[in-house]
Amino acid sequence: MNDMIICRCEDVTLGELISHIENGSQTVKSLKLQTRAGMGICQGRTCRVLVEQVMTYYADESNIISSSVGTNFPIRPIRLAELAQNGKGDP
Amino acid sequence: METYDAVVIGGGVIGTSIAYRLAETRHVLLVEKTDIGAQTSGACDKAIFLQSKKPGFPIKLAKASRQIYENLEEELETSIEFHKGGGMIVIEDEDHIEFMESFVKKQQKAGIDVTLLDSKEARSIQPSLAEYIVGATYSKEDAEVNPLKLSQAFAQAAKRRGVDIRTHTEVIDIDIQNGKVVGVKTTSGYIATELVVNAGGPFAGKIAEMAGVGLTIMPRRGVILISEKINPMIFGNILCSQYIAAKHQTDEENKKKPPYGIGLSLGQTKSGNLLIGGSREFKGFQKAINDEILAAIARHATRIAPAIKPIRIIRSMVGFRPYTGDGLPIIDKVEGVEGFVIAAGHEGDGIALAPITGKLVVSLVENRKEDQSLLKPLQFKRLKAV
Ligand SMILES: Cc1cc2nc3c(=O)[nH]c(=O)nc-3n(C[C@H](O)[C@H](O)[C@H](O)COP(=O)(O)OP(=O)(O)OC[C@H]3O[C@@H](n4cnc5c(N)ncnc54)[C@H](O)[C@@H]3O)c2cc1C
Ligand code: FES
Repeated sequence: MNDMIICRCEDVTLGELISHIENGSQTVKSLKLQTRAGMGICQGRTCRVLVEQVMTYYADESNIISSSVGTNFPIRPIRLAELAQNGKGDP
Repeated sequence: METYDAVVIGGGVIGTSIAYRLAETRHVLLVEKTDIGAQTSGACDKAIFLQSKKPGFPIKLAKASRQIYENLEEELETSIEFHKGGGMIVIEDEDHIEFMESFVKKQQKAGIDVTLLDSKEARSIQPSLAEYIVGATYSKEDAEVNPLKLSQAFAQAAKRRGVDIRTHTEVIDIDIQNGKVVGVKTTSGYIATELVVNAGGPFAGKIAEMAGVGLTIMPRRGVILISEKINPMIFGNILCSQYIAAKHQTDEENKKKPPYGIGLSLGQTKSGNLLIGGSREFKGFQKAINDEILAAIARHATRIAPAIKPIRIIRSMVGFRPYTGDGLPIIDKVEGVEGFVIAAGHEGDGIALAPITGKLVVSLVENRKEDQSLLKPLQFKRLKAV
């Protein structure tokens, strides 16, 4: 079961997440920084809930610290050519 | 009462590097308010540039740090994705040629292996570049590293040397008696110690205040765009001469200054994402950014490297470079507060300079003679108003 993929975009398994939690990770952000879970093209839309569940299930409840893994711009992937057209044009 | 030989405040690339080195001879506690590498060191680029540094001391310091990188993966026993991919500074504008020619001459004199290429030669190395560019400087010595892995690797290696790491713990006061550090107060209790290292990056000013020390380090905001994973198309790191001009010329000399202090920095991570930067602004610790900055970065990058136009951006990052005013960090003991050391203010070079910073802090506290020539220009008093 440890081979189960939790983050498909970045190929992160349940086993990897558990081993980081056992090593002291207390936040979803810390898991993200160490395994890249949530950093893929979907930006965690698919895996965030799963990662949070893994955290609450495997971590000692009193150790979990809730941290916001804020979603950063853009909301959806956008081509550079399109992004370049945003705003007022060449200032 | 808990007691340590040394307490390092801040778990970015700088604090983790220092904790690792100090642990050679000391029992060390590393205190980090959030997670390891979660602040500036987790919202930055990956370049270890030599050729972009000012000739003179900045190059000497950068070279000393680059030297340590040569064997760092072996030393830390893990991959940090260190890669000698070379670096290029693209010259977009005829007006910059003269300035860049003299810049290259000075760099060569300083012993940096850098050459000036014409447009065609530059594009043979980086096929993504636009035809109109007038040339580029190129150096094989420039390298890159994964900054996320770097902080983690230093932290893990420090742990193996017996360092205790306390994350989600904030230092809230520094206890000083008769001009000497005797301990720190944290959100998880009091720690007795005679040595405190302030490695707070852009937050170092607030930490210094706890010791009654006035230290001005300003957050210089930078924004980077991150793309989806793609096959290798950018080889090594690319800057534009606008970036060098912004870094080394006065406003008077650099008339065509772009908005938001934008200068290209473009590279591709080992996992395939493009990192496209970046801006330089003073906006306090304001994380919210407007669309116009993102669009301006995209415009600048797609003009110089049109081949990236169809690639999709998946997110952006906002980081705060710790700015001292002269582009160099402070690595020094504080006069009048025995046992209080500052190691902060690496601005846009903290990744490149992390390895040497750990070593210099050890030299400093051990009063070693050999690194004096590197420590002297980093003294605190150079920046204090007299
Ligand atoms: C957009 C951008 C691009 C960059 N690109 C490059 C590059 O290509 N190459 C390069 O060499 N450099 C680059 N840099 C610069 C580099 O990122 C920084 O110089 C470096 O990360 C600074 O590291 P630090 O450890 O000093 O700071 P930080 O990583 O910010 O670490 C300081 C830590 O101190 C903690 N802290 C603060 N107050 C307290 C407290 N009271 N108690 C406990 N902990 C506390 C914070 O939580 C934080 O984790 C870039 C920076 C930016 C913003
Ligand atoms: S599934 Fe984890 S980032 Fe997409």
